[in-house]
Amino acid sequence: MRVWRPILAVAVLGAALAGCGSNTDGGDAAPAAAAGPWSFTGGSGQVVKADKTPTRIIAHAGEAAALMSFGITPVGIYADESVKTDPNLKNLDLSGITILGEEWGKIDVEKAASLAPDLIVGDWWPAEKAHSGMEEGVDEKSKKLAELAPVTGVSQGKSIVELAEGYEDLAESLGAKVDSPEIAANKQRFEESVAKFKEAVAANKGLSVAAMSPADDKVYVANPEYAPELLDLQSWGLDVLNPESPDPGFPYWENLSWENADKYQPDLILWDGRSYTATANDEWGKKQPTWFKLKAAKAGATVAWPAFWLHTYGDFATELDKLTTAVKAADPNVGG
Amino acid sequence: MTITASTVDAMLRANRRRRNARSGVVLASLAVLVFALFVVTMMIGSFRIGALDVVASVLHLADNPSVDFVVRELRLPTAAAGLGVGLALGASGTVFQQILRNPLASPDFVGITSGAGLAAVFGIVLLQAGGLVVSGLALGGALLAATLMYVLAWRDGVTGYRFILIGIGIAAFFDGLIGFVLTRAQLFEARQAMHWLTGSVGQAGDTELRLLFGGLLILLPLAMLLQRPLRALELGDDTARTLGTRAELSRAALLGTALVLVALAVSVAGPIVFVALVAGPIANRLLGAATGGIVAAALVGAALLLAADLVAVHVLPTPLPTGVVTGAVGAPYLLWLLATTNRQGAGG
Amino acid sequence: MSVASPPATTRTARRASALGPGLVALCGVLALVAFLSVTQGSRDIGLSEVLHALRTFDDDGSIGSTITLELRVPRTLLGILVGAALGVAGAILQGVTRNPLADAGIMGINSGAAAFVVFAITVLGLRGVGVYVWFAFAGAIGALVLVYAIASLGREGATPVKLALAGAAVTAGLASVTTGIIMTNVDALNELRFWQVGSLAGRYAPILTGVAPFLLAGLVAALGFGRALNGLALGEDVAKGLGQHVGRTRMAAFAVVAVLAGAATAACGPIVFVGLVVPHVARFVCGPDYRWILPYSMLLAPIVLLLADVLGRVVAAPDELQVGVVLGVVCAPAFVAIVRYARLSEV
Repeated sequence: MRVWRPILAVAVLGAALAGCGSNTDGGDAAPAAAAGPWSFTGGSGQVVKADKTPTRIIAHAGEAAALMSFGITPVGIYADESVKTDPNLKNLDLSGITILGEEWGKIDVEKAASLAPDLIVGDWWPAEKAHSGMEEGVDEKSKKLAELAPVTGVSQGKSIVELAEGYEDLAESLGAKVDSPEIAANKQRFEESVAKFKEAVAANKGLSVAAMSPADDKVYVANPEYAPELLDLQSWGLDVLNPESPDPGFPYWENLSWENADKYQPDLILWDGRSYTATANDEWGKKQPTWFKLKAAKAGATVAWPAFWLHTYGDFATELDKLTTAVKAADPNVGG
Repeated sequence: MTITASTVDAMLRANRRRRNARSGVVLASLAVLVFALFVVTMMIGSFRIGALDVVASVLHLADNPSVDFVVRELRLPTAAAGLGVGLALGASGTVFQQILRNPLASPDFVGITSGAGLAAVFGIVLLQAGGLVVSGLALGGALLAATLMYVLAWRDGVTGYRFILIGIGIAAFFDGLIGFVLTRAQLFEARQAMHWLTGSVGQAGDTELRLLFGGLLILLPLAMLLQRPLRALELGDDTARTLGTRAELSRAALLGTALVLVALAVSVAGPIVFVALVAGPIANRLLGAATGGIVAAALVGAALLLAADLVAVHVLPTPLPTGVVTGAVGAPYLLWLLATTNRQGAGG
Repeated sequence: MSVASPPATTRTARRASALGPGLVALCGVLALVAFLSVTQGSRDIGLSEVLHALRTFDDDGSIGSTITLELRVPRTLLGILVGAALGVAGAILQGVTRNPLADAGIMGINSGAAAFVVFAITVLGLRGVGVYVWFAFAGAIGALVLVYAIASLGREGATPVKLALAGAAVTAGLASVTTGIIMTNVDALNELRFWQVGSLAGRYAPILTGVAPFLLAGLVAALGFGRALNGLALGEDVAKGLGQHVGRTRMAAFAVVAVLAGAATAACGPIVFVGLVVPHVARFVCGPDYRWILPYSMLLAPIVLLLADVLGRVVAAPDELQVGVVLGVVCAPAFVAIVRYARLSEV
C-alpha cells in the first residue's frame, strides 16, 4: 500500500490542475464533491479513506455501468470482453473514457497510471477474497493496478438488489445526486418492475422454472445459490429450481448428460443469456434428440436469463420486464 | 623432430589465442546486444520512455514517481524475466545438447517443459493454486519428467536417439494429460492455463523471479566449472573414460544443474519452446572453432527471448504470449535443421 | 533401433491355429461390449424397453426409445468404427516407422487436424462438427505429408528416427500457431475445448454418416498391409531385397493412416492412447506377424474404447466423463509399462 502514495500525490495534483470543473455544488444535502475528507466501507469490510473525494475513478465493466447510471463517469474502464459486447457497457456512451482492457485478466496498467486515478472500483468477491480484475490467475501486472490508488467495491453475494444499493451508496458518497429526478427514475422503474413481477408470479400459481444452459456435451442446470439474480427471483416468489447434486468442483451448475436432459421438468426454462438467441431453442431441438424431451422446451417456453452480470436498477428492470412477460405467458402445467 | 613439435606447439598456441580473441569479441558484443534489448524492453509500452530515463530510474539515480512506477513496477519485472529466463534456457539447452551429444536434445523437445507444464496446470485448475505454489509444482513436474525419462532410458545409457524418442513420447503423454486437465476447467481458468502453457515472460511474480536470479548466480558459475569434464565428454564416452573422467557422474551433475535451471525458468515464464534448442547452435556458429561456451549460449538465449517478447507484445496486432512467437519462428528452424542433417545423411 | 529377427515360421504356424478362433472370440466380446454400450448409460432404461426399441427400430416418442436409437446406437457404432480406425492406424504407424511410440499425436496428425479446425472456426467462421470433419481430414493429411517429406530427405530415406523427429517438430510449430490464434479468440477457445477432449458424447447420426464411409474404406484398405509391414519389420534393406517397393508401401500406408486418424479425430476429437497401447497388446498376443496384429488391433481397440466410454457414462451418472479422460486414467500406466518393459527394439 505504501507504494501508491507518491503516485496518489501526483494524481491529486493532476486532478487539481485538471480543474474541478464538475464541482458545481448546489448546496443541498448531498455531500460536497471534491471536498473531503472522504471514506467508504467496501464489501471487504475495509474502510477506504482519502483527504478529498475521488474524482478520477477507474472501474471494472459492470461497476462502471452502475456508477454511470448515477451520473459518476469514470476516467477509465477495464472489461472482461469487448466493450461492444459486454452486456453492461454495450448500450452506454463511452466517449471520453479510456478503455484499459477488453479481456479477462489483462489490464493496461501503464495506461491506467497515466490517467492518474484516485480510486479503483471493482466488485469484491468474498469467495476469492479479491476485487474484480485482481483475482488469482490474472496477469501478474494487472494486479499492480491496486498500487495506483485505493481499491473498493461492493460485495458480490446473494442479491443483485443489494449490489445495486451498494453502488448507489458509493455513488452518493462520490457526490452523485441520487435523488435527482432522472437518476431516481431508474430506481422507481425498477421498483415498479419488481411489483409487476411479483404480481405475475402470484397470479401464475404452481409455475416452476429452471435456469439452464445447453452445451454440446452436456446440459447445465444453474444452482441459484451461486447466482444472485436467481436468488432475487426466488425471494420475489418465483419457484426457481435448486438442482439436487451440483458439481462439487464447480457448484455453480449441476451437469446433466444428454441422456438425462429431462431429469427436471420445469414449466419455463430460463436460458443462459450469454448463449440465448430467438432461434436457439429450435436449433438445439434439432441438434440434440433429447432436448425436446423437456416439455417446456418442446412448448417453446423459454426466456433469456441475465446470467451473472447485472449491476444497475435500469438493466435489472429491463430484464425483469422480459421475465414478467414470459411468466405471464407460461403454462404452469407444461412440466407436469 | 623437436623443431616440428615446437612449431606445432606454437601454431596451436597462436590458434588458441585467435580463438580466445574471437570468443572475447563475440561475448562482448552479445552482452552489449542483450543490454540494449533489455533497455529497449523497458522503453516501449503504452507510452515511450527515453533510454536514459529508464537507466536512471532502474539505478535509482532520478526521482520521478510516474516514470519510476511504470519502469520499476511494470516493465522491469518483464525485462528481468526475459533476461533471466533466456539466460537459463540458453545455458541449460546447450548443456543438454552437449551431454547427450545431440542437437535435438533440448529440454523443451524431450518432455521436461511438458512435465512442468502439466504440474502447473494441474495446480491452477484442480487446486486453484497460484503464484509460488504453481512455480513449486512446475519445478516438481520438471524434475519428475526428467527422472522418469532418465529411469526409462537408463538401461542403455542416456545416449543417442533412444533418449530423444522416449522424451518425445513422454512429452506427448504429458501434453495429452494437460488436454484432459484443461477440459475440467471453466473458461477463464482454461484461458489462463493456455496462456501459462505457451509461456510468457510478462507474468513473472517477484518471488519466482528472485528464485530464478538466485539460481542463476549459483548455477551458471557451477556449470562453467563443470565445463572441463563436459569438454572431455564431448570427445565421446570411451575417450572420456580412458582420459580418467568419471563420465556418468559428471553427466549427472551437469544434467542436474541444467535441469534446475530449466525448472526455474519454466516456473517464471512457463514452457517457452525452442529458445533452449537454438541458443547453443547459434552460439557455436558465432564462436567459430571455440564451440561449447555456456556463457555465449546463455547470452544468445537472453537476446532471443527479449527480442521474441518485443515482437510478441509490441509488433503483433494483439499482444500474444512470448512462446507463440518462439514456437512459430523456431519450428521452421528446427525443420530446416532436420532437413539439412537429413540431406547430409546424418539424421539417424 | 536394431533390426528385428524374422518371424519364426514354425511359431507363427502354431500360433495361427489358436489365433483364428481367438479372432472369432474377440468378435463375440466386441458384440457383448456393444450390447453393454447400448443398454448401459448415465440414464437407467429398462432392458425390455431397450430391446423393444431395437426390435422395432422406430422412435415411438418415448424417452427410452429416443435415447436408445438416437443417442446410444449411433454413439456405439461410432465408437466401434473410431476405435477400430485408431487401433489399426496405430499399428500401421508403428509398423511403418518401426517406432514403438509412434502415434497419431506424435506424428503430427492431431495437431494438423486441430490447426485446420481452428482455421475453419476463426478465419472462415464455420461451426459444427460436420464441417470440422473435412478440415481435420485435410489437416491430418497435410501434416503427415509434410512430416514424411522432411523425413525422407537424404539417401537412406525416411528412417524411424527421422520420422519421429520431424513429427515432433511439426507438432510443436503447429501447436504454437494454433495456440496463438486461439488465444486471441474466446469463441474459438470455447468451441475447441470440447472438441479437443476426445469424446463420443453428443455425436449422433449426422456425424456417423459423415465419417463412416472414410472409416470403412480405410479399415478395409488397412487390412491389406499385413504382408508389407512384415517385410518392413525386417529392415529396409531386407524388404528391398525381398522385392518390396519400400517407399511406395510407406506412402500408401500413410495415406490410409491419414484417412483413418483424420476422420476419427474429426468425429471425436483427438482420442489418445488407444492407437498407442492397443497395437502393443495385439503384438504381445500375436507375436510379430502383422497379418494378425492388424485384425487384432482392429477388434481390441473398439472393445477398449467402448468399455472406457460405458465406464465414463456409468460411474459419473447423471453426469458423464469424457471417454478421453477415462482412457487417460486407464491407459497411462499401460503406456508406462510398455515403454519400460517392452523390448522396444522388437517393433
